[in-house]
Amino acid sequence: MAQPRADLLQGSLDLLILKTLAVEPMHGWGVSKQIQLLSRGTLEVNQGSLYPALYRLRDRGLIESEWGVAENGRRVKVYELTKKGRAALRTEQEGWRLFADAVDLILSTAEEGAR
Amino acid sequence: MSWWTWTRRRLRVLFDKESLEHEMDEEMRFHLEMEIRQHVAAGVDPKEARRRALVAFGGVERHKEEARDVRGARILDDLVQDTRIALRSFAKQPGFVVTAVATLGIGIGGSVAMFGVLEASLFQSLPYPDSEELVLGRVTRSGQSGWVVSGRDWIDYRAEADAFASLAAVTPFDISHTAQGVGDAHRVRAMYVSPEIFATLGVTPLIGRDFVPEDGHAGAEPTAMLDHAYWERWHGSDPELIGQALSINGLPVRVAGVLPPDFRVLKDVDVYPVFHEDERWATARQFHNFLLIGRLGPGGTVGGAQAEVDGISGRLAEAYPRTNEDKGLELTPLREALIEDYRTVLGMLVAAVALVLLIACANVAGLLLARGNARAAELSVRSVMGAGRGRLGRQLLTENAILALGAGAVGIALATWLQRGIVAFVSMDQLGPIQPGLSASTLAFGCALCFLTVLGFGAIPAWRVARVGNSIALRGGTRATSDRSSTAFRRALVIGQVALTVVLLAGSGLLVRSFTALRAVDPGFDTERLLTAEVTIPNDAYPDDVATTRFFAELIDRLEVSPAVSDVGLATLLPIRDPGNDVSVSTPDAYGLGGEPTAFQRSVWPGYFDAMGIQILAGRDVERTDTPGATSVIVLSEQAASSVFGDDDPIGRTVAVDVGRDEPELREVVGIVSDIVTSNLEWGVSGAMYYPFHQRPSRSMRLAVRSSDAEATIASIVREELRALDPGVPLSAIATMDDVISGSVADRKAVMTVIGLFSSVAVLLALVGLYGVLAYQVTRRRREIGVRIALGAQRDQVARGVLRSGLRLAGIGLAVGVVAAVGATTLMQSWLYEVGSLDPITYLGVAVFVFAVTSVACFVPARRATRVDPVMAFRGE
Repeated sequence: MAQPRADLLQGSLDLLILKTLAVEPMHGWGVSKQIQLLSRGTLEVNQGSLYPALYRLRDRGLIESEWGVAENGRRVKVYELTKKGRAALRTEQEGWRLFADAVDLILSTAEEGAR
Repeated sequence: MSWWTWTRRRLRVLFDKESLEHEMDEEMRFHLEMEIRQHVAAGVDPKEARRRALVAFGGVERHKEEARDVRGARILDDLVQDTRIALRSFAKQPGFVVTAVATLGIGIGGSVAMFGVLEASLFQSLPYPDSEELVLGRVTRSGQSGWVVSGRDWIDYRAEADAFASLAAVTPFDISHTAQGVGDAHRVRAMYVSPEIFATLGVTPLIGRDFVPEDGHAGAEPTAMLDHAYWERWHGSDPELIGQALSINGLPVRVAGVLPPDFRVLKDVDVYPVFHEDERWATARQFHNFLLIGRLGPGGTVGGAQAEVDGISGRLAEAYPRTNEDKGLELTPLREALIEDYRTVLGMLVAAVALVLLIACANVAGLLLARGNARAAELSVRSVMGAGRGRLGRQLLTENAILALGAGAVGIALATWLQRGIVAFVSMDQLGPIQPGLSASTLAFGCALCFLTVLGFGAIPAWRVARVGNSIALRGGTRATSDRSSTAFRRALVIGQVALTVVLLAGSGLLVRSFTALRAVDPGFDTERLLTAEVTIPNDAYPDDVATTRFFAELIDRLEVSPAVSDVGLATLLPIRDPGNDVSVSTPDAYGLGGEPTAFQRSVWPGYFDAMGIQILAGRDVERTDTPGATSVIVLSEQAASSVFGDDDPIGRTVAVDVGRDEPELREVVGIVSDIVTSNLEWGVSGAMYYPFHQRPSRSMRLAVRSSDAEATIASIVREELRALDPGVPLSAIATMDDVISGSVADRKAVMTVIGLFSSVAVLLALVGLYGVLAYQVTRRRREIGVRIALGAQRDQVARGVLRSGLRLAGIGLAVGVVAAVGATTLMQSWLYEVGSLDPITYLGVAVFVFAVTSVACFVPARRATRVDPVMAFRGE
């Protein structure tokens, strides 16, 4: 599964979905577009990972789905963050920050060492 | 999310697949649509927009699969899906499913039933504590295994042998008595026992006391133990009965206690009276009436006890050469002794069942292969569309597992029914305490069998098909070349099936021939319309011989005047029904020298020979004037006479009969009668001697009453006359002579029927197998046949080709089968009567039969081959 642009870590996709849905409930396509938009096109969510991730999150009870009506009038499944999902988003966000900082740290030391 | 929502969602994944799939479809379609719309909005041509969207999305189906994976329970999910596919495809081929399930079900059912019987008889321990310490003691003569032991010898073995913790003696047959105590006179079955019997078996009475050694001493008060069921039925479980006296045959017998429920010693009887050590039938060394049951002492072995017993037998032979020369005692573990009579029968049944199961499995394997070949195209398509080989294999295994489950269910249901049949059919009286049933281990065996059949006969075709499925891909549909090897495999299966069937047929053919020969044996007397029954009069009402004789004289007179009765015979023992004992008889000079001939003895009422249709060849019948005061006389059968006197005229000569005393009884021969079968049809005629009733009366007699016409309800007439004479005397054990004779060969008939049934099933299965292979072959070669016909081949030539290839399979199977049968049937020699295990008629019959039925099975596909329309054949592909 070669990703064209940035590779999304498994956990990070979940986090991005949660973050996107925290703003407002939306359907699967909307989520993928939103991520693309917010990352200014750097991150493109592969549909093959998006839907499994959505189902997985739903199964974990972090998001809920409901049938709604899309902009074009089609029946569509709209995903929404649950209470549990909000809590999870907070912890995961923090976890991600820690992780990202740690990675940054390692990368910068490695560069120094190489010098 | 609560556990409930979670569970509901999981369940929904499993069972509400369709709506979930639908949702997923819809969601993904929406996604694509939005993508396309975006592209179109950006000014891309709609067609190109669609293409780009699809490319960006990737394989729709693959994403779906991935999404499905996320939903978890993938294996379960597949299983449910496989099951659905399997059921759907089964629903389209009900014939295949019914054949496969029924075939395997019969095989499994038979096997499970037999396993249950075997397990109960061979492996379950006897229902006595520490039953492995129990041994059965039987007599041997000149090293040959015999049966009953002399009571006097038993007393010596018991006194001298140290190997036993205790050694008891019991009568192996039940003796029928009239009991009276509370309520009506009724018949009871009695087994005489020595006092230590219950202690030996390790059982204590439910209520009352156990016997003590003194109970068996000479002159002790008669005592008996009651069977629980009898106590319940006849005495309303009255505890007051303990210590009271019951009247048995007019003698007061004190009730010592009642045994626990469901306990029995070898046989089901009502009362266990103790015999006294001084009773004549218990003390004479030449009278053999007992089986010994011993419990080995701590650490004792059967071998050790046997060595000690052999020493005692040697000393007895020295001390009492006349009676004990060459006599010994053989000890066998009780369980082993109980099953030895059934070993051959059980062996035959197991072999038959195993053969049927094998044939059934071969058939199903053949069916699966054929089906697999037919599905090769479908599987190839699925394989190309992305189904993994493992996935396909799993799918086929699931199908097989479903078949096996169905077959297992059918089999186990069938097993309960079959087992009841086997146990009822093959009476296992001697097995006594053993109760067969569907135990947990039997069920486990059934499940294991299912599993094995799936593995063995499902996995091979599944593997082949999975392989074939890939290799032939989409090339040629069902007409692939690579199924040649599977055809060879099916041919081998058919040859095997025919061979196994031949073995079964040969076996059952031999049994049928034996049975026919046995039923053709002339018993030597007229069995038609002959009713037999037992009349035993109590001692107290008929204290002496005079009263006894008067009673039977009156009974005979009453019956003879009845218009429904044409003949009445009265004897202590009736042929076949009650064999009785044979004792030695010789000229007075030859007596005691050893090697005297023996003859079965009975007392008969004058007119007995006429009534039974036994011819008086010389001299006269016994008569009412042959009273105790007159000369002691005897009537011999032809064979008995010639074994004593050779060619000399026996009339007027004197014979010496062993009656268990020191001196023989001397009697003058007054008549010679024709020989009859006394004990059983297999042994044929044997020598018999008849005392006049008036000189040797008995209170326990057998009536043989012939009715004047077939319709008469003679039993009720006899009963009424008896009641009119004395209501205190019951008429018991009523049976027609025909029934007695059928009963005497019932075991054989049962085994014959069961094996015959298995053989028929085997034949049917083998024919289906053969037919299947040929029919499939014709279908597969339709195009070729069409071409040949189009090129001018004669149609019957084509048919002959098919016929020939079928008959060649049958022929090879037949040849292999005959060789196997020759080996297998020698094992059943002991069950054959007047038929050798290599009986040419049987083998010829089997060969002709197999040839005939296989021809029919080949004929149908052969005919179908001739009907191939060349045009259709070309177009059909």
